[in-house]
Amino acid sequence: KRRRGPEVNEIEHRLENLIVRVGEKSTSSLESNLEGLAQVLETDLETYKSKILAILKTCVLDAPEKLTIYSTLVGLLNAKNHNFGGEFVEMLMKQLRDELIAQNYDNALHVIVFMCDLVNCRVVSAHSCMSFLEGLIEVAFQEDIPQVRSDWFVYAVLYALPWVGAELTEKKGNDLKEMLDAITRFLEQRQKLHVQMLRVWSGDKPHVQEEYLDCLAAQVTKLRTENWQEKHIARHYVAFDAVLCDALQHNLPSFVPAGHQETSVYPLPTVIFRLFDYTDCPENGPVLPGAHSIERFLVEEELNWIVRRHYIDRKECAAALLNYSRKLRVPLNYVILEVVFGQLFRLPSPPCPPLFYGSLLIELCKLQPNSMPQVLAQAAELLYQRVETMQPACVDRLVDWFSYHLSNFQYRWSWADWEDCLKCDELAPKQVFAREVLVKCMRSPYHQRVQEILPADYAPLIPEKPQVHFKYSGEEGEKLLGASVAHQVAQAIRNKCTNEEALELLKNCPNPDEMSGFNPLAIDVFVSVLLHLGSKSFSHSFAALTRYHQALKTLTEGNEDAQMVVLRALYDLWKNHQQMMTVLVDKLLKMQIVECNCVVSWIFSDEMKPQFLRQWTWEVMQSALVKLSRHVQRLRAELEAADNEDTKEDTKEDTKEDSEMKADDDDEQTVESKSADAVKEKTQKLRSAEEFQRNLLLSVFHKFTILLTEHLLTSEAEGRDFNSYWYKWVTGRFKQIFLSQSDEVWKLCSELETSLFTNDIDSHILEIFHQFRALRR
Amino acid sequence: SLTDQEEALLQSTTLYIGNLSFYTTEEQVHELFGRAGDVKRIIMGIDRFRKTPCGFCFVEYYSRDDAVDAVRYINGTRLDDRIIRTDWDAGFIEGRQYGRGKHGGQ
Repeated sequence: KRRRGPEVNEIEHRLENLIVRVGEKSTSSLESNLEGLAQVLETDLETYKSKILAILKTCVLDAPEKLTIYSTLVGLLNAKNHNFGGEFVEMLMKQLRDELIAQNYDNALHVIVFMCDLVNCRVVSAHSCMSFLEGLIEVAFQEDIPQVRSDWFVYAVLYALPWVGAELTEKKGNDLKEMLDAITRFLEQRQKLHVQMLRVWSGDKPHVQEEYLDCLAAQVTKLRTENWQEKHIARHYVAFDAVLCDALQHNLPSFVPAGHQETSVYPLPTVIFRLFDYTDCPENGPVLPGAHSIERFLVEEELNWIVRRHYIDRKECAAALLNYSRKLRVPLNYVILEVVFGQLFRLPSPPCPPLFYGSLLIELCKLQPNSMPQVLAQAAELLYQRVETMQPACVDRLVDWFSYHLSNFQYRWSWADWEDCLKCDELAPKQVFAREVLVKCMRSPYHQRVQEILPADYAPLIPEKPQVHFKYSGEEGEKLLGASVAHQVAQAIRNKCTNEEALELLKNCPNPDEMSGFNPLAIDVFVSVLLHLGSKSFSHSFAALTRYHQALKTLTEGNEDAQMVVLRALYDLWKNHQQMMTVLVDKLLKMQIVECNCVVSWIFSDEMKPQFLRQWTWEVMQSALVKLSRHVQRLRAELEAADNEDTKEDTKEDTKEDSEMKADDDDEQTVESKSADAVKEKTQKLRSAEEFQRNLLLSVFHKFTILLTEHLLTSEAEGRDFNSYWYKWVTGRFKQIFLSQSDEVWKLCSELETSLFTNDIDSHILEIFHQFRALRR
Repeated sequence: SLTDQEEALLQSTTLYIGNLSFYTTEEQVHELFGRAGDVKRIIMGIDRFRKTPCGFCFVEYYSRDDAVDAVRYINGTRLDDRIIRTDWDAGFIEGRQYGRGKHGGQ
């Protein structure tokens, strides 16, 4: 008896191996493999039934690219053993219910499509499948539910139809027609305000960017008019028609998905990204399917799936994409790049980290050196040509990717082809794009090198060499008020004076503004000296700030005006070194020498106007907002943990970054959270952080509103078209804040509606708020 | 069971970066590794005697996830034209910034 254990495991293991591997490279045909596997499983079906069911379930969820292989296998098993088929269907139904409750919408989608394909494999009856789909569509028409919920169920049905449309037309033609009519009615009354928020490009030239449901509906409609004749889905069951036609079919039990709850979250709508059409691809290769052909959709979905499955290993991912099973039927490089860029530019955020796409594209070029780099260059050219109408949030991603890509290919690019950007307005997107790419590429050590590569005409776009500018030195500097104190402090710091000694010396600083209650000149002198002494590297600057953290705190604590002086001093010193400014503002925030609200005021301040539309400014803004929302999330998690557990706990991990915000590098902190006191304290902390965040976001939106209103009013007064480059960039940044902070902003929506975005506001500004809100309606 | 060293590696947020050029600066390292997430600090490896860069550095992140992304997507790509490699490090300890000099990629 003892020996039975491992033996059972061994058999189970073997079964698993056989099932998971089926359809992989083999010397014999897939048909004979499937037949053989069905025979093997038949003999073990009773003994290992639950194991086999479990393995098949995993395959349904994790290997959608082999969907029709497994549905055929289930069909063969059902033909041999009717009960097994019944149990499989029952299991799948239960799985669908669970996935929907757990809000795993991708998994639920795989189950639904599989269920539909089982009709083709004679496991499920066509009429019960029809009722099943009708049941899903009914959900879309429920009252008092958000549109995103309706959307998902309509999407799922449309998604499944390419598999089962022909069969349903034959057996339940009228019912199918009625269901499709209902879908059309639903789509017609749907609101689509959100589309403007999610589009990568504001224009529709040369390719229309359709709302995802509209696009899929159009593709399915076209397929229907072509009698459901598609050339993409591998229909393995056809080969087994003789066996399957005698099988007994099961009726799907009636299915009612769990109702909508306050807490339910549904997938956000998307906009279909199009970069290429067939004219972009080589004439002698396979043709790129048209925008409304179902093949385009099916190919994109499969490639999206490959990316999702392999994104943690860029090499595997690149190899899997290039090895795509349908690679001979489509212009492979083009469809891959369209999918990759489609993900990179997806709003509000890409499904994988942006860096992943950059490294994936490098890998693709390495694996396919004879064709991929050319197609990628073609893509970059198209993106450059279309940058004119691209949303700023996407322009940032394009700049980041392109500069990263160039850094891996010796910065070689045919810059001469892009010289038209030099003749544009300085806020024209082409010029902005080129300038920002150069800024990223020319961060200090590469400055010389990139300059040598660039054609001479580019001189006006070349950023100044990033170097420090210490205003208290030189002939002019010596005359400045505070110069002598600056030298004393610098000397004292070199001699490693204490925080107190430094503060003492700063008292000699004349105060140009006695009324302000603090000495702005003393702060300016101290920060300038400190950062100048640490100017050798980031680390040196960090060390300087850390050593005099306490003195800096004393000078600035709780005083936004004083903190503003710190940022101005930093700007005076490092104006030409955007990376340094970005890194140092970040550090100042972490050390709580300046606070987020101060950074926001600084960015919107008059002296920052020349920098207001530069990319680094928004990096700083985003980073400040993200830091704050992480802080709030952490407090939330801590409170939850404390609520759940009253015992002593070690929160070292949770407070790691948090304590950095309080006391810089002192990141080891254990918090005893015993009893109600701790919970109360944590609640208090969370409430005040949330309040801070709320006020900050309100103030950001308020500042945007003022800025845009002013612009609209002056444009009108002066009879100018308000829709200038400046206006496009600022509204784009406005949208970007909504999208990047969406989780927090959603909570504020009703407050924003009553306190800020009221009907007194210009309709152009109001519209952006409404577009955002429509995303989840 | 895991040894302390392995345990430390599994929780580490620090990476050892090798095969850097001697001329690669902290700014360049930051520019690249900052793409994977919030960098806490960078320690440039220096020659014990000449106190000049010698081809390696440590990059410490605030979060493990960001460090994981750096290994996934930066390891084996180019920095300053050299293919660099990243390895998990149990955590920087003072003194380890001194390389043996002479050769890069230590």
